[in-house]
Amino acid sequence: MGGPPYDFLANPLGAVRLTFEKAIGSESETPPTHPSAFNGKDWGALELFRHFLFQESGLSQVPILNPKTLRWVQPNSLVRYRGMIQDMLGNEFYAGAYKDGNLWRTNKFMDVSQYPMGSSPEMCIWERRLLYCVPVPGQSSWTEPSSEMEPNWSSQTREKRRRMDDEDDDPMDLGQGPCLLPLDAVPISGTCMMKMFLVKGMVPDDEIKSSPITKKMREDGLPSPSQSMDTKTTSSSSITSTFQSVDKDNLPCLVKIYDSPESELKLNDVIEFIGVLTFDSELAVEKDDNDELSNSFYDDALVHLPPNKVPRLHCLIHRKLAVQDFLPGSPIIEPKPHLVKETREALFRHLTAVLGNDEVAAHFVLLHLLSKVHARVDDVAVGKLSLNLTGLNKETVSVFGTRLIDTFKNLLPFTNCMPLTLEYLNAALLAPKKDYQANRLVPGVLQLPEGSHLMVDETRLESGSLNSTGIENTKLLKNLIEFQKVEYDFQYYKVEMTTDVQLLIFSEGKSNIVPADVIVPFQPSCLESTEMPVAEALEAWRWYLATVRSLPHSIGSEIQKVVEDDLVAARQTDRSLGSRDFSRWLTMARLISSSFGETSLSKEHWEMVKEMERLRRERLK
Amino acid sequence: MASDSSPAHFNNGPSSPDDSFSSPIANTSSPAHRRRRGRRQASTPSSAAATPPPNPSRFASSASTPTPARSTRRGRRPGPATSPSPAVAATPSSTDDFSMPSSEGGEDMEEATPTFVWGTNISVQDVKNAIQMFIKHFRDPQELSNDIYGEGKYTRLIHRVLEVEGEWIDVDAHDVFSYDSDLYNKMMRYPLEVLAIFDIVLMDIVSVINPLFDKHVQVRIHNLKSSTSMRNLNPSDIEKMVSLKGMVIRCSSIIPEIREAVFRCIVCGYHSEPVVVDRGRISEPTSCLKQECLAKNSMALVHNRCRFADKQIVRLQETPDEIPEGGTPHTVSLLMHDKLVDAGKPGDRVEVTGIYRAMSVRVGPTQRTVKSLFKARTYIDCLHIKKTDKSRMTAEDPMEVDKGSQRVDDDVQFDEDKVEELKELSKQPDIYERLTRSLAPNIWELDDVKKGLLCQLFGGNALKLLSGASFRGDINILLVGDPGTSKSQLLQYIHKLAPRGIYTSGRGSSAVGLTAYVAKDPETGETVLESGALVLSDRGICCIDEFDKMSDNARSMLHEVMEQQTVSIAKAGIIASLNARTSVLACANPSGSRYNPRLSVIDNIHLPPTLLSRFDLIYLILDKADEQTDRRLAKHIVSLHFEDTEIAEHDVIDLATLTAYVSYARKNIHPKLSDEAAEELTRGYVEMRKRGNFPGGSKKVITATPRQIESLIRLSEALARIRFSETVEMRDVTEAFRLLEVAMQQSATDHSTGTIDMDLITTGVSASERMRRESVLSATRNIIMDKLQLGGPSIRLLELLDEMKKQNSGTEIHLHDLRTAVATLASEGFVVLHGDSVKRM
Repeated sequence: MGGPPYDFLANPLGAVRLTFEKAIGSESETPPTHPSAFNGKDWGALELFRHFLFQESGLSQVPILNPKTLRWVQPNSLVRYRGMIQDMLGNEFYAGAYKDGNLWRTNKFMDVSQYPMGSSPEMCIWERRLLYCVPVPGQSSWTEPSSEMEPNWSSQTREKRRRMDDEDDDPMDLGQGPCLLPLDAVPISGTCMMKMFLVKGMVPDDEIKSSPITKKMREDGLPSPSQSMDTKTTSSSSITSTFQSVDKDNLPCLVKIYDSPESELKLNDVIEFIGVLTFDSELAVEKDDNDELSNSFYDDALVHLPPNKVPRLHCLIHRKLAVQDFLPGSPIIEPKPHLVKETREALFRHLTAVLGNDEVAAHFVLLHLLSKVHARVDDVAVGKLSLNLTGLNKETVSVFGTRLIDTFKNLLPFTNCMPLTLEYLNAALLAPKKDYQANRLVPGVLQLPEGSHLMVDETRLESGSLNSTGIENTKLLKNLIEFQKVEYDFQYYKVEMTTDVQLLIFSEGKSNIVPADVIVPFQPSCLESTEMPVAEALEAWRWYLATVRSLPHSIGSEIQKVVEDDLVAARQTDRSLGSRDFSRWLTMARLISSSFGETSLSKEHWEMVKEMERLRRERLK
Repeated sequence: MASDSSPAHFNNGPSSPDDSFSSPIANTSSPAHRRRRGRRQASTPSSAAATPPPNPSRFASSASTPTPARSTRRGRRPGPATSPSPAVAATPSSTDDFSMPSSEGGEDMEEATPTFVWGTNISVQDVKNAIQMFIKHFRDPQELSNDIYGEGKYTRLIHRVLEVEGEWIDVDAHDVFSYDSDLYNKMMRYPLEVLAIFDIVLMDIVSVINPLFDKHVQVRIHNLKSSTSMRNLNPSDIEKMVSLKGMVIRCSSIIPEIREAVFRCIVCGYHSEPVVVDRGRISEPTSCLKQECLAKNSMALVHNRCRFADKQIVRLQETPDEIPEGGTPHTVSLLMHDKLVDAGKPGDRVEVTGIYRAMSVRVGPTQRTVKSLFKARTYIDCLHIKKTDKSRMTAEDPMEVDKGSQRVDDDVQFDEDKVEELKELSKQPDIYERLTRSLAPNIWELDDVKKGLLCQLFGGNALKLLSGASFRGDINILLVGDPGTSKSQLLQYIHKLAPRGIYTSGRGSSAVGLTAYVAKDPETGETVLESGALVLSDRGICCIDEFDKMSDNARSMLHEVMEQQTVSIAKAGIIASLNARTSVLACANPSGSRYNPRLSVIDNIHLPPTLLSRFDLIYLILDKADEQTDRRLAKHIVSLHFEDTEIAEHDVIDLATLTAYVSYARKNIHPKLSDEAAEELTRGYVEMRKRGNFPGGSKKVITATPRQIESLIRLSEALARIRFSETVEMRDVTEAFRLLEVAMQQSATDHSTGTIDMDLITTGVSASERMRRESVLSATRNIIMDKLQLGGPSIRLLELLDEMKKQNSGTEIHLHDLRTAVATLASEGFVVLHGDSVKRM
């Protein structure tokens, strides 16, 4: 890299600006390039960032934006955000480049220009996309990056960080630090008062700014929360208070995407965005400015997303996250056969123990955990294997259900649970629904990213009547389990979205509301609780599940013949077998085979499928 | 609108993005206003000294100055023709404007030196001439032949508008294009300027025709050559004319926007002249204008003497078909003015023509020079709005007979390319087979069933006689079959494909759920009718799964629907007859869960024969224990699971095209029977009837009923429609016969004789069965005559049976046959039946 040394982490915009200046050739003798040439294109800045992040492994130094890190992350610095695209807010036009005197400036990747724009006559208007992202629903705690990950960028900031950390550790100083701490941890009465405001989110920024308490805090030499906006944005101050009303464990983010094709980012994708965090206090007051008229004009969602609740991220680079990306620090291990088999064995033993020594159920649960939709032909989602454990009642569910939930939380990245009661069905908003007042998509319970796991507890369902919402909801659940599709309600019409959710149903008898692919009567033989597996084992299992799930699979022509013969024979003897049953067998065959880390079906595994099916049928009798 | 920051930019040329960004207020004014403003400013720098202050607006002049004083119209000269330097900001104050009322005279135009639209080489004069030529000389190509020397299309239109005192003239952009494509392109690229010139030319012409006409006539462009999708609007479209389709999702309340303000001096009561809005502001006089008064700060607004214009903000959202996979619909704001207000309601699908505009958002006027936020809010200044079709496929009734309200060009749903494509498709010789193949391609075999379903999708023609009798065009189909034969999938598929339709399951449907019911509104206490599935699927297909599990009550409601196509309600003070012109596609399982081939259809599905006869086609889908089929199933499923590549389905028409094909055909093709085909129908029908008369046989079997001939007509019409043919040909009739026969063979075959017997369907008892019963009856009668005395001792049934068996050793007689026979005799008064003993009377 012959370019000037850029501080990618602390001042990414600097790099953007320098590359822009270089690109338009304002420094060289060659005739300058008109910035309109860069409409919808990168001028070389992303290349630098990509190099820094992936070649020089700068990625790990970029802090992940979450309620914790938000306390100390600087505005206009490089951050990453991991979340699910919950809503798309359309496009936004902005003045991408403008002439300031004789110089062209760019506004790409920022909300506010760094230089006065005046009334520059020459301007290029570019567009960017707005995505509203939320943390993935049901995200397990293990997927979150460990807290040791500390930034170690410029030494100066590190110093500051250290100091802040120290303060954080010291209970006496807690009051001055983050504003989201419990109230009782506050020693000073004045701060306490302010905190109450903060927690309630009642006080607008300016009031805090002028409040004597903040002033006092500043005098104390502590990082002043709201001063950042008064000084230069690049100055090292905390933006803590600007995000005062951020929900503790739920940090949404408004991501602005530049120059990327629409097809790359889809609704419900889980994405890591790396970009510039911006904050501008003027934006915060934007809301108050609007009179009734302009409100109806801009009834954009933005009005409802004040920047002090929803941080803005100007995305430089984004990448879709797979489960593997959540495995902390594990390099991609080649799935070696013996390793896979060992892990499978251990996981199977664990599942058996969790399921009260019911091996058959454990087998099916294991396959169920590995299932995913790998093809869609017309309406058929091939590869799904939803499981219905029957024979459970309220009491047994409280034992095994909770045990399974805990187990899954430890194994899978995204797990959700749904208590299927009458009241729930009649009241819950399962499908996302468009709210035209706020111009937002209101998230529904079934707005889940690919690869989520959903447990439905039907044991508590009692007889009663469903209202129209309830009927709608049962229909949604049925569609979800049968076709892996959810209809999003846009009020004037519905839009069908495909999903890939693993469904596990607990019920007393066969569930008709949520008809699963496999019904296994659950027969535990012991109630003893299991011991918690060690961390290494858990990690290995997570790795196993993630890796094995994505293995390719094929079938040899010989075994194909065998399978076909078997299917024909089975149908000749039992006419009640239909394509659904055959589909299930083949899905199971594929999954069994994959669970041993193999990529093609063998005779042995096919026999296993038949055996499992036989055992299952015996129980059904 | 306090944030009006940079008035200087108002009249910048359209090519300068800056313009679009600097007019936060401008958004509140109409396009007309904007255009006018541009014009006014234009005049200032070029000839400010010489020209009188410009004419304020078409609105202002029309309202305040009825006396058409002779004056120049320089003010109307296209504005942006001049340099856009900030100096323009020094426009004459608007108070001057109205003091110089002007007429619509346009003679001064010619004096002007050639001016150009700023930033381009488009000469204003050229554009003006082009527009004049267009208005004067454009003729509709269709009427060209008979009326060469008549007036042009738009000249006539202007006359008409003047007669009705209209306020606008709709100009079809296609006309502009065909007359002068150069003008069209200029209009697309610089709509603000060109439309301003258009308005001027229009007003000039109007004033020539009727100098006293004081309303302002605007031009409204519609029907652009190409329409954009909301998703593709990008910065380069700003200030361009665009056309969009979408659905209205929200309308704001109507916002009155002040156009002229009148002030009154609170000291002396002097009323000021109306003050016109200038750049979104009314400049309030600081002191009374009356020479005698001149009180400071005494002027107060007189609300009821001000003039307001309507304004409305409407949000438009993409229709579902434009949303890409994994995306959410985009929305865009529309600004409606005057007559356009309330032109669309939420839920309407509209096509909008307008100018795409953007305005900057500046936060905090105090900080504007320090830090500016430069996001742009975009909206469309609406010029024209057109409602398009509401339903998803065909709102127009294909089978409706009364085409009284000749639907005009209005809902052109299929663009020409698509229609061409469909027509091309229809010309293929094997289109019938291809469509069959494309229907539910993952369900194989059942080809004849699919052909029947295809006919149902296309439908026949409905017929309404003058006498009021009507014949339905809808084809009803019943599928009966073993479980697991993908009946439900077929139903689901048809439901998806059908123009409109409801999918319901028999088990969960009640009679009122299917038809309609009367409900009391809990709040108002009013009785309201709520439509059920059949009414909702009017002009569509109602798919009923598990037909056999439906309650008798619900089923009986279907009788009316399936033949009369109406639902009649008489309860709770409401007597109504609702249309339910729906095709019914039902599927049923045999009563014994598996079809028993030894029993008749009626016995197998326990449906009343009256209902069965209303189905045009009844298909038996039997699961034959056939290894070949099983193997195909196995192969199919294995390939489904293990071949990652899509299963090769060559030569299959995709769902979207299929839907388009069906809806186009339903809408536009109305086949008529050719003589040849009619003859064939008659001949075939007679032949079918004849088949019932076995040579020498005494039994009369009805193999066809008048219902069948109706079905045949419907089927052959549908078949012609499949080919996009306007006439029903011989081959259609032949195929219809074949389809009917296939269906009948499956369902109406009398298993004891192997012949088709319509009695099976119509009465549930086959002719051979009837014969047998009769013979048993006569035999019983004979025995009783022989054995029993009048009033003598009774005889037990079993003894009677033994006796009968002795006599008729050849045939087998069951006890229940005998019992039926005895019961018949008892009803004749011949015997008395007490429990098991029979006594002759």
